[in-house]
Amino acid sequence: MWIGITVGALIVIGFGVLSTMAGSPKDAFLMVRYAFPHMRSGNLKVGDFAPDARLVALNGSDHFRVRDRVAGKPLVLIFGSFT
Amino acid sequence: MQIFNDYKDHADFLTVYVREAHPTDEWQMKSNVKEDVCYAQPKTLEQRLAIANDFTKRYSFPIPFGIDDMSNTVNDLYAAWPERLYILDESGRIAYRGGMGPFNYSPKEVRAWLAAKYGEVKHPEAKPEEKPLDKAGQTSGSTVEKPQSTNTPK
Repeated sequence: MWIGITVGALIVIGFGVLSTMAGSPKDAFLMVRYAFPHMRSGNLKVGDFAPDARLVALNGSDHFRVRDRVAGKPLVLIFGSFT
Repeated sequence: MQIFNDYKDHADFLTVYVREAHPTDEWQMKSNVKEDVCYAQPKTLEQRLAIANDFTKRYSFPIPFGIDDMSNTVNDLYAAWPERLYILDESGRIAYRGGMGPFNYSPKEVRAWLAAKYGEVKHPEAKPEEKPLDKAGQTSGSTVEKPQSTNTPK
């Protein structure tokens, strides 16, 4: 029984912390539902060769590769979305 | 944006649009409603392109732009979602890897890396609160290689 109470208490505390971080219990639920599955810490490290991949240009018809933009200068990569 | 303006002669910049973080059909934020940034999660590349173009036009965004494919290839390779910053050096190696946004997303660390390599760019309105790199070239929430002094935003 104590194990159940402890686990339950930890879940409540954890959800409370998430609610504080997210802004509300609803946001905490949505964070767990929609954000957590996409969060990755990844395994890239400083010193690794940067992975290469193809990107689509804003015009939708042209393509280029990340490595194409490494041209004698450091390249700052900014990942994100509008929302 | 200010970092881009300050260091665009020294470094190249590339914005990579990945899957939406707070679309209307997932975890929408009140701030996005307030700012009229309301989009459903794109299901097609055309929808991604439309949102990316809305973004660049709305802010007259000057930084070169690329869009991830619908398989989220780049996102998966770089563990980029929801937002993250990297600096690649001239040889294509990772010189700086920022933490996962939003809590560990730190343009200040990118600025510090660039400032260490190319010199600080001061602005009258800038607040001197940027966390300096420690002796090992590390800052919280990220990994960074301290740049050699040779000759580079959201």
